[in-house]
Amino acid sequence: MSDAPNNVLSARALTKTFLSGDGRIEVLRGVDLDVVAGESVSVRGESGSGKSTLLNLLAGLDAPDSGTLEWEGSREITTERRATFLGIVFQSFYLIPEVDALQNVLMARRILGKVGKPERERARQLLDRVGLGARATHLPAQLSGGERQRVAVARALMNSPRLLLADEPTGNLDEHTGDSVIELLLNLCAETKTALVLVTHNAAHAKRTARQLFLHEGRFA
Amino acid sequence: MPWYLYLALKQLFPTGKRFPFFTAISMLGVALGVALLIISTSVMGGFGHEIRRMIVEVQGDVQVRANGLMQDPAGLQARILKVPGVIATTPFAEGVVMLQHQDKPAFPAIQGVDVNRVSRVVPLDYYVRIGSLNQLDDDSIILSAQLAYSLGARMGSTVEIYSPLLLEKLKNDEVMLPRSLTVAGIFEVGHQQLDSSTVIVTLRTMQDLYGLGRSVHGINVKIQNGLDADVAAARINAALPPDSGARARSWIEANEDFLFVLSLEKNMIFFLLTFIIVVAAFSVTSSLLISVVRKTREIGLLGALGGKPRHVAACFCFQGLFIGVAGTALGLVLGFSALWLRNDMVAFFTKLTGSQEVLARFYQFSRLPAYTATSDVVMIVVCSIVISTLAGLLPAWRAARLKPVEALRSE
Repeated sequence: MSDAPNNVLSARALTKTFLSGDGRIEVLRGVDLDVVAGESVSVRGESGSGKSTLLNLLAGLDAPDSGTLEWEGSREITTERRATFLGIVFQSFYLIPEVDALQNVLMARRILGKVGKPERERARQLLDRVGLGARATHLPAQLSGGERQRVAVARALMNSPRLLLADEPTGNLDEHTGDSVIELLLNLCAETKTALVLVTHNAAHAKRTARQLFLHEGRFA
Repeated sequence: MPWYLYLALKQLFPTGKRFPFFTAISMLGVALGVALLIISTSVMGGFGHEIRRMIVEVQGDVQVRANGLMQDPAGLQARILKVPGVIATTPFAEGVVMLQHQDKPAFPAIQGVDVNRVSRVVPLDYYVRIGSLNQLDDDSIILSAQLAYSLGARMGSTVEIYSPLLLEKLKNDEVMLPRSLTVAGIFEVGHQQLDSSTVIVTLRTMQDLYGLGRSVHGINVKIQNGLDADVAAARINAALPPDSGARARSWIEANEDFLFVLSLEKNMIFFLLTFIIVVAAFSVTSSLLISVVRKTREIGLLGALGGKPRHVAACFCFQGLFIGVAGTALGLVLGFSALWLRNDMVAFFTKLTGSQEVLARFYQFSRLPAYTATSDVVMIVVCSIVISTLAGLLPAWRAARLKPVEALRSE
């Protein structure tokens, strides 16, 4: 168990190595990270510094070669728990093209079980909150990049997660749209007291979080 | 609705698209296979059904024969009639004769029937197209239609019969004139062999021609509707005196080889046409595999959102199942519609090719028979749905194997 019970996330001495051809690439060389409830943390770093790898480990989507991870004191994160504990926003949105914005948001809840009226209502409220209430029935193909990312943000918050992981959410957006998405993310996390780990290249966006970290050669500088 | 079923339906019928092309093409492939199977098995079943009906109507349900002649047909018939389930009996004698009309010879099979009893067992009247069975007496004959046509014989024509008995007497330097009989009717059963070389006379005439005295060759038996012919034959055998040398055989046993060939033909057609569904299933597999590759990152997302691999697999498997069910339903509609319109379609094609007469002459039908057995429909439906569902297994397995983190990273 973690020493700090207030932590939603604790990572200790995380390492991760990938095989590439005949060689081995040490992407993470002992990363320590604690995120407390409601805190916003940004992670910056050069391309290939291991930011996305770190985020995948923090999301429980991949396992570290060594080191420990605790999610609110638990070293286990089952598929079901991940769905309720974590929200993830990706650079490429990953919306399901066959269903409209509302159903994309609801998909995060649908995977956990039955979707009823309260869930639909919450999804509508989230779409309203991200400014897309009027576009609930639009397919992803009918939305702009910024609007798609807003839908992805609403989806990530659908299950009221304790921790939101955002992997370069503005990477595919123009500067203005990117700014508005970051603004929205920070505001929503603050409103819902959701901890945020934001991986970004953008120094201005990083500065808006409570704590800024820089990943260099597999460690936080 | 579980998310994997919901998503499967949405992938088959995406929101906002009126015509899901992939779904329609996949379903159509399965539907065509099912329709062809329904049509072919029904037409084969129709032929088989017609042939079985004809065999029963010509031979009776059960036939009792002896090793040689039956010396006491009346006594045997009395015993057989006491067997439960037996309705009527009629004796017969049969053989081959030479028949001549206006210097045209033929060598038909000859059947001697008891005019008073035969109609109780086989509906011979029904097949007499010209004349009547009632007009048959010891000086007359009923010819099969094609035989009459080839000889040029008509109602009232006289034909001459030479029996093997005449040849025997010739060996003893006895001279006997052929028997002259008047044509009292022309029958047509609808079977090439029977219609081209069979004649019917009274039992007495046949007994005279073959020198049988009061003996006969066998007894045809009619049993109650619904009673199994094999069961009835077994009961009759139990009732026959052991020293009579007679044995009852059901029409099924008597035509075992022929019925086996009919069944084999139908099964072979079923087997071969099933491959149409298999080919359609490969197309479903191919389309779903492409879908898995195209949606790799979405599959990764579903895993990241908490979707379990088995549910991801179920999503693709269900698509195969749905295509199978919908394609099968469409195939049934197409198949039964084609069967309903079969005679119009046959008429159209034969008119187009000018082959109406050929069809009637060589295949003994001008209307296409069809009989759809429930068991065949069940078999087709089950095969189609199972094959289509199996078609979704490979894509489902591939989708389930994708690790979310790798799927999300894929380009």
